[in-house]
Amino acid sequence: MYVKIEDLGFSYVKKERVLDNISLSMREGEIVAILGSSGSGKSTLLRVLSGLEMPSKGNIVINEETLCASDIFVDAEKRQVGMVFQDYALFPHMNVEKNILFGLSHLPKSCRKERVNEMLEMIHMTEKLKSYPHELSGGQQQRIALARALAPNPKILLLDEPFSNLDADLKLKIRKELRQIIKKTHITSIFVTHDYDDAYDIADRIIYLENGHIVDETVVDHNQIKQ
Amino acid sequence: MFKRLKVKLNIFTITSILAGLFIIVPLLNILVRIFERPSDVWIHIRTYLLVEYLQNTVILITFVALLSGLLGFFAAFTVTRFEFKGRKTLAWMLILPLAVPSYIMGYVYADMFSFIGIVPRTLRDVGIDIRFNVMTMRSAIIIFVLTLYPYVYMLTRSALNKQNASYIESARLLGASKMKVLWRVVLPLARPALVAGILLVVLETLNDYGLVAFFNIQVFSFAIFNAWFSFGDVVSAIRLSAVLMVIVFVVVFLERAVRGKRRYHLSSKTRPVKRTPLRGYQNIYPFILWGVLVFAFFIPVLYLIYLAQFSRVGFFDLEMIYLIINSLSIALFATALIVIIAVMLANFARGRSSSFKKSWLKITNLGYAIPGAVLAIAVNIFFINTDQILYPIYRLFNPETGRLVLSLSLAMLVFAYVLRFMAIGYNSIEASYDKIGESFTEAAYALRASKLKTLLMVDVPLIKTGLISAAIIVFIDVVKELPLTLILRPADYNTMASKVYEYASDEMLTEASIPALILIFISSLMVFLLTHMKAKGGFTFVRKN
Repeated sequence: MYVKIEDLGFSYVKKERVLDNISLSMREGEIVAILGSSGSGKSTLLRVLSGLEMPSKGNIVINEETLCASDIFVDAEKRQVGMVFQDYALFPHMNVEKNILFGLSHLPKSCRKERVNEMLEMIHMTEKLKSYPHELSGGQQQRIALARALAPNPKILLLDEPFSNLDADLKLKIRKELRQIIKKTHITSIFVTHDYDDAYDIADRIIYLENGHIVDETVVDHNQIKQ
Repeated sequence: MFKRLKVKLNIFTITSILAGLFIIVPLLNILVRIFERPSDVWIHIRTYLLVEYLQNTVILITFVALLSGLLGFFAAFTVTRFEFKGRKTLAWMLILPLAVPSYIMGYVYADMFSFIGIVPRTLRDVGIDIRFNVMTMRSAIIIFVLTLYPYVYMLTRSALNKQNASYIESARLLGASKMKVLWRVVLPLARPALVAGILLVVLETLNDYGLVAFFNIQVFSFAIFNAWFSFGDVVSAIRLSAVLMVIVFVVVFLERAVRGKRRYHLSSKTRPVKRTPLRGYQNIYPFILWGVLVFAFFIPVLYLIYLAQFSRVGFFDLEMIYLIINSLSIALFATALIVIIAVMLANFARGRSSSFKKSWLKITNLGYAIPGAVLAIAVNIFFINTDQILYPIYRLFNPETGRLVLSLSLAMLVFAYVLRFMAIGYNSIEASYDKIGESFTEAAYALRASKLKTLLMVDVPLIKTGLISAAIIVFIDVVKELPLTLILRPADYNTMASKVYEYASDEMLTEASIPALILIFISSLMVFLLTHMKAKGGFTFVRKN
C-alpha cells in the first residue's frame, strides 16, 4: 500500500478526541474523498496528515517512509505533501509565477521556470503567468492553488474543501476538470468535503467520517458513471 | 514527549523562552532582596514618608486617568462622528503631543510662569502682578493629561471607526435618544479600547521620573530614585519598588475584574458610521481640541524656539551632533532588536494556543508595566551578577580586566530598553499577524519552505505595515526615554533626553531648548510618518467571481 494510516488519534483539549482510531490504506494514484459534516474532524485529519498538527497517537507511512510514529514526527516543510487550502492561501504579494516558484527551490534553477510553464499548461492558464491573485476569478485561483501544490511533485496531494468558495455552475465544471488533472499526474490524493456530489464525481473511494470516527466507505465505479 | 519537545523547539520558541527568562530572572533577583533585613532608611521611610508617597501616587494616577480618558474619548468621538473643516488635519495632529515628553513640557511651563518668566513679566508690564506656582500636583496632572491623552485618543478612535452603524441605527429605531445611544451603545462598545488607553496612560505616569522630580512631587518613582541615589540604600529602593509593583498589579487586576466575562466582538461585516455635520453648540468641539493642541504642542514648541536663540549651544555644535548620533544610533539599534524579537514572539504565539504559551507571552511583555526606576534596579543588579559570573572568562581575554564589564557598557541600557518596550512592538506585530491569519504560512510550510524562508518571504512582506508601525512607535518611545537612560547609561554617555534633563536640572533651560527641540522634531516626524503611512502592505485579497 502506498499510504498507510494506522490508529490515528488527535485532540485539541485532553479527553476531547477530534480524531479517534483512524486507519486507512490507499493505493498509489488513488483519490479518496473524506465526507463528513462540519465538526466531524475531516479538516483536522488533513492538518494531521500534512504535519501542521501533531497526532496524539498513531502512525502515518507514505511510500514506505514513516512520517509519524511514536518516536518520529516529520515537520510539515519536510513531508513533501502538497495541500490546496480552503481559501487557496495564494500569497497575495506574489504573482502567479512567483507563487508557483515558491515551492520549487529544491529544483535546479534551470528547471524551475520550465516546471512553472508545464504546470500552467496543464491547467490552461499560461497567459496568467504575471497576474496577481486578486486579478483572478475564484475558479482561476483554485486552479493556480492546485498547480502550486502539484509543482514540487509531492508524494500526496491534500485538498481541503476545494469547492467551498465557488458558485454552483463553476463548481460543476471544475469538478470534472480537477479529477482529470489529478488522474493525469497520477498523484495519490485525499480531499475533504461535506458535499456528496463532489465526493462522488471526483473520488475513487469515499470514506465517511462522523465525530472523528470512520463509519463507512463506498467504492465509486467511474466506468459505470460514464455509461 | 521527546518527539513533541523536538518539534516545538524552533527558533521562535527558543527566543521566546529566553525573552521570558531575561525578564523573570532580574525581577526575582530583586524580589528575594525584599526579605533582607530592613535598614534604618527603610524604617524612616515607612514611618514618615510611605503614606505620603501612596497618597500622592494614588491622587496622581486617579486624576490623570480620569481626565485623559475624558479628553481622549472626546477627541476621538469628535473626529470620528462629525464632519467639519480641517477634520483630517486635526485628526492626525491630535497625536502630536505624544512627541513632547512630559518632563520637557514641565520645564517649559515652569519657566514661562516663574517669577521672571514671560507670562508674569508681561502681566506686570500691563500692571497686573500675579505670582503663579506651577510646580504643584495640579499642574503635574494637567501636564500628564496633555502629553498622554493621545494614547487614549488613538486606541479609542480606531475602535470608534470600526463600530458598526447598524448597532447605532438599531438603538435609534428602538427609541433611544442620542445621549442614550452614546452611553448605552457607543461607549460600552469602545470600552476595551478606552480602558486599554487609560491603562497605558497610568503606566506611563507611574514610570515618569523627569517631571515629578522637577516639580518635587513625592510619588513612588521619585522616592525610589531618592532611596537609591540620595540615601545609597538599594534595599529600601527595592522595597519601594515592590510596593509600586503592587499598585501596578492592583490597577491591572481591577481592569480585568471590571471587564469580567464580557466580550465586545463585532460582526465581521461592519458598515462604518456616517459622520454628521456639526450643529449648534457642537460647533465648539473643534475649537476645544485646537485649544488643547495649542497648549499641548504649539506653545511648548514655540517657547523652546524662542529660548533657542539665547542658547550658547548651537544646533550644529559638535556636542549636539554627538548627542543626535548617540540618541539615534541607540534608538535604532534597540528598535531593530525589539522588532526582531517581537516577530519571534508573535510567531511563537501563533498556532495552537496553550495556557503555558499565554502566560509566558504575558511574562515577556511584562516590562511595559514595570516602572523605569524598578526595571533599572532589576537590570543593574542582574548585570552586576552576570559580570561576577563571567569574570573568569573576562580574565582569559584580558588578565588586567576589572570586575565590571557588561554593567559599564551600553549593553545594559539596550537590554533595559528591550525589556521595557517589547510589549509595544509585540502588540502591533501580533495584531498584523492576526489580520493575515495562518493559511499563508501553512501553505508555505506545505511547499517545503523552511521556517526562516517562510518568515522572510511570506510573513514579513504581508505584515510589513505592522512592522513599520511597531518600529516607529518603539523608536519614539526609546528616543524620549528618561528614567532608564539616567540610571543605566555609562559614565559620560548622554542621549538627547538625558542631556535635556541635565541642563534643566541645572536651571539651564535655554541650553536645554536645542536638544529638546531636536527630540520633539524627530518624534513629530515619526508621528507624521505613522499617521500618513498608507496601508500598502494590507494586500486586500479580492475575488472576482
